[in-house]
Amino acid sequence: MLGSWPSLDPHNFSQFKPNDPSNPSKMTPVTYNPTHDRTLSPPDQVIVPEEKNILLRHFYQQAEEKLQMGAKRALSDNPTPERASKLPRASASDNV
Amino acid sequence: MSIWNYVVTAHKPTNVTHSCVGNFTSQQELNLIIAKCTRIEIHLLSPQGLQPMLDVPIYGRIATLELFRPHGETQDLLFIATERYKFCVLQWDSETGEVITRAMGDVSDRIGRPTDNGQIGIVDPDCRLIGLHLYDGLFKVIPFDNKGQLKEAFNIRLEELQVLDIKFLYGCPKPTIVVLYQDNKDARHMKTYEVNLKDKDFVEGPWSQNNLDNGADLLIPVPPPLCGVLIIGEETIVYSSASSFKAIPIRPSITRAYGRVDADGSRYLLGDHNGLLHLLVITHEKEKVTGLKIELLGETSIASSISYLDNAVVFVGSSYGDSQLIKLNLQPDAKGSYVEVLERYVNLGPIVDFCVVDLERQGQGQVVTCSGAYKDGSLRIVRNGIGINEQASVELQGIKGMWSLRSATDDPYDTFLVVSFINETRILAMNIEDELEETEIEGFCSNVQTLFCHDAAYDQLVQVTSSTVRLVSATTRELHNEWFAPEGYSINVATANVTQVLLATGGGHLIYLEIGDGVLREVKHTQLEYDISCLDINPIGDNKNHSQLAAVGMWTDISVRIFSLPDLNLITKEHLGGEIIPRSVLLCAFEGISYLLCALGDGHLLNFVLTTSNGALSDRKKVSLGTQPITLRTFSSKNATHVFAASDRPTVIYSSNKKLLYSNVNLKEVSYMCPFNTAAFPDSLAIAKEGELTIGTIDDIQKLHIRSIPLGEHARRICHQEQTRTFAICSLKYNQSAADDSEMHFVRLLDDQTFDFISTYPLDQFECGCSVLSCSFSDDNNVYYCVGTAYVMPEENEPTKGRVLIFIVEDGKLQLIAEKETKGAVYSLNAFNGKLLAAINQKIQLYKWMPRDDGSHELQSECGHHGHILALYVQTRGDFIVVGDLMKSISLLIYKHEEGAIEERARDYNANWMSAVEILDDDIYLGAENNFNLFTVRKNSEGATDEERGRLEVVGEYHLGEFVNRFRHGSLVMRLPDSDVGQIPTVIFGTVNGVIGVIASLPHEQYVFLEKLQMNMRKVIKGVGGLSHEQWRSFYNEKKTVDAKSFLDGDLIESFLDLNRNRMEEISKSMNVAVDELMKRVEELTRLH
Repeated sequence: MLGSWPSLDPHNFSQFKPNDPSNPSKMTPVTYNPTHDRTLSPPDQVIVPEEKNILLRHFYQQAEEKLQMGAKRALSDNPTPERASKLPRASASDNV
Repeated sequence: MSIWNYVVTAHKPTNVTHSCVGNFTSQQELNLIIAKCTRIEIHLLSPQGLQPMLDVPIYGRIATLELFRPHGETQDLLFIATERYKFCVLQWDSETGEVITRAMGDVSDRIGRPTDNGQIGIVDPDCRLIGLHLYDGLFKVIPFDNKGQLKEAFNIRLEELQVLDIKFLYGCPKPTIVVLYQDNKDARHMKTYEVNLKDKDFVEGPWSQNNLDNGADLLIPVPPPLCGVLIIGEETIVYSSASSFKAIPIRPSITRAYGRVDADGSRYLLGDHNGLLHLLVITHEKEKVTGLKIELLGETSIASSISYLDNAVVFVGSSYGDSQLIKLNLQPDAKGSYVEVLERYVNLGPIVDFCVVDLERQGQGQVVTCSGAYKDGSLRIVRNGIGINEQASVELQGIKGMWSLRSATDDPYDTFLVVSFINETRILAMNIEDELEETEIEGFCSNVQTLFCHDAAYDQLVQVTSSTVRLVSATTRELHNEWFAPEGYSINVATANVTQVLLATGGGHLIYLEIGDGVLREVKHTQLEYDISCLDINPIGDNKNHSQLAAVGMWTDISVRIFSLPDLNLITKEHLGGEIIPRSVLLCAFEGISYLLCALGDGHLLNFVLTTSNGALSDRKKVSLGTQPITLRTFSSKNATHVFAASDRPTVIYSSNKKLLYSNVNLKEVSYMCPFNTAAFPDSLAIAKEGELTIGTIDDIQKLHIRSIPLGEHARRICHQEQTRTFAICSLKYNQSAADDSEMHFVRLLDDQTFDFISTYPLDQFECGCSVLSCSFSDDNNVYYCVGTAYVMPEENEPTKGRVLIFIVEDGKLQLIAEKETKGAVYSLNAFNGKLLAAINQKIQLYKWMPRDDGSHELQSECGHHGHILALYVQTRGDFIVVGDLMKSISLLIYKHEEGAIEERARDYNANWMSAVEILDDDIYLGAENNFNLFTVRKNSEGATDEERGRLEVVGEYHLGEFVNRFRHGSLVMRLPDSDVGQIPTVIFGTVNGVIGVIASLPHEQYVFLEKLQMNMRKVIKGVGGLSHEQWRSFYNEKKTVDAKSFLDGDLIESFLDLNRNRMEEISKSMNVAVDELMKRVEELTRLH
């Protein structure tokens, strides 16, 4: 079970000279101070917090489904405005 | 008033929180990425080992770190999420060598209870989504489209509220998570969910497993072909998949970290809370799991992350001790261990306590920290600047110059040390007994001052005096040849190398000689318009014996000029500006870059990059090293060349990452220095200081020196006692071998030079040391160690009993001479008006030191003050007492002598959970709290109403991003009263991540200037991953986020010195301050730490 340790590149660590372990490594990488503009991602890759919480999303989804079903059945009734007027209360009940 | 504060890091975080391995910088390159809380380090695997590439500051505390590779990418991308709910996806652009941001954003929710067990951030192995668990009951999804672009994030309701771990499973047609959770009866279970990206919801997953190990805390997903998941408990390890379930018992342990060894997931390294490293093997046949095996490999530091690198080499990242590079051997060593430690990386974290002492009595503070935890506990002595380890010294007054000479050109060692005085020259040499004794070089003129000496080619020596240049045989020591200064002129300054001599006489005459075998040839003579103040012809070109350039400093027009050799043609003239003449010039090369250094008579140093082909000078920089004239000399140490600047503030100039750095030498004043490399004292320096000649070796050339004293136990409090030259620590030792986790607490006495334990006082069972103080009392000349303790009983929520123990050090032993029982934990002890002030649970209690009839003393309670939740941190000044409360921020109490009472004077009404307090001055108090913020409050004595006077006004707020455990007044650097920075009061702090930082209280004018510079720096240095510096430094807790005020980020400001010239000029223009001036002012600040 020991042994045959994986090797991706047999050269890695092949010329490694171990330090005296009592004398810690003093390697210090250069500190990176970017001055270029690509520290900002493309605008379409900026993720913002979700506007709708899960319950609202659920209501919208339901509303949409109903709308679609309604559209299939008949174009007479339109539930969307009614739903919209209930939104604030739905939001308040989310924490329950 | 200490309102205007400057916060800067003296020692960066070293606590390794995460690590991962992948092809980040290129398809062919394998990288180790290490997260140290607020920084990531990128390393490259190479035949020579780990090569550091970049240290990347992150404007956030890293909560999760993962490498992943979206479809179609050739390189891995790095996903980082911060504790303040920002995330970014970083990519390495190998063409420009820059880290660029592929995606970023905010993953916070307006409503939500932050998870108790830390944040989880995971990437689906098939790169369909990133999953985040940041709030109880919510799982946030950031989906990828098929081009690897991120899409709008959404939340999914997660029924399990007490989540311990979540991982993605491998080999599932739909992205599937496995959730380890605890139910409301404290039983632990595991279940799986498929993530339906279209419906934005979970679908019950393929399998679940109830009633796991009560200590199950970690999931390890197993890659194909086996798939499934390992559940690591404290007593069992379970493999579980839809079709298979295997379990093995293990020795009770808490697994802190794991690292996958094989790509097929058949072997894992597990690191436990005792630092034991195990190998877990999944045995399988025909892609079916047949069982689990576990083997102990050996001991490492207690791991917080394990990354298998390559060819049996493993990186062990640690939060509690030094991180390590280890090798897994096939055969056990004599102790039965398969682990060989190859390399150690210093970690000071967690710094639980520290003290500032001047061990070498040089007027410079050293920080002694209680670092590490459990078995990896240690003391660390952190010292700024470069020390000289004195080997020999003699009293010699009036040294005017020193040079070392060899007895043959190819001799590896120096033999002679020429010491020049105002009207004589004396020669010292190493005799056969390796002792320094006075000798003679017959050919030298010894009854006059020597201006310069050097080894010359053909086994010769050269001496320049005010009238002649003498060429002497190094073997016979007889005069070979002599060159005389022109009639009526005396030589003022001279320099030489192995083959050349350049000298200047009055009247601006510059004369160039060449050294032959037994002859000195005058090659060129030119007259300049003014007198010459200094010269140098140190060869920096390919020819180590011959220089093609000469640097010349001038009186009158205050310029430095470069001449070509041998023809003495002027090729560059640079006016230095000002009225101070150059006193020493030096041509030198560091890391392949040539420089001209030019030191002025007022302690300033100018440096220029020198183009050797045409003598052009560029990139002028000016720094202030001291206040007296500087003499520059090169020397070698550990095969690298450095420059020693002798002055009232001796400094070593060296180069790191192609940037010139200045490190203080820990000596008060050095008038001359020359390298003196002898067989008896190899790599030594001869140093002339304060009427003394010293031979000594020099420390490694670096800014901070850290010495480790491993204790094998956890030191939690430390205190120094100057009079007995001892330290006292409160420590605890865990008993690993016992079946029950017992721990023993001690008060230990250590010698302050050897750091050996010289005496130990074991505390009672369940008793632990909470505070330690060295003090003396009124009407008693003895100094004592006072120790405050608590009896921490398993059944109690808060300690109800403790002790104050008074020890005296006698014959190197701790003698308990008094004790006083208390009604709670003694969290803090302070010397107060010749009495002892203790913070005991919710109370502040003052004790008098009262003589008894038998001549002994006892502690007698005098008065107290109630009204705290827990009074954890106390500082005093005069009759004022500043208390840092567990959760009620800072309050100010006053002791009234006449009434013998302590009363509250004012408090900060914010609900800050304190971690440290300090008094900056009479009116301003500094606090650190558990959301990693710093703040200052001000006493409002002039308030119109009682209400106003009773309120501590918050005047400064700042997000440090570090958990501060202790503030102490003091300085890491030697403070010269006449220097600008010498006047600035500083406080040192130590943090959980191993940061040592400095808070400097600046004059208002300087603060305003630097605030403007910081604002400009924010525009120029961009936050990696699009993270904003302004947001990062804003004071942040659960209740509010407000912009930082009255604190400046010294790390950002000092990175000005790392900018290229164009960027500096950009800032200079926008600030309307010359680049030179900006650089000088920032460079001065770097001298604070």
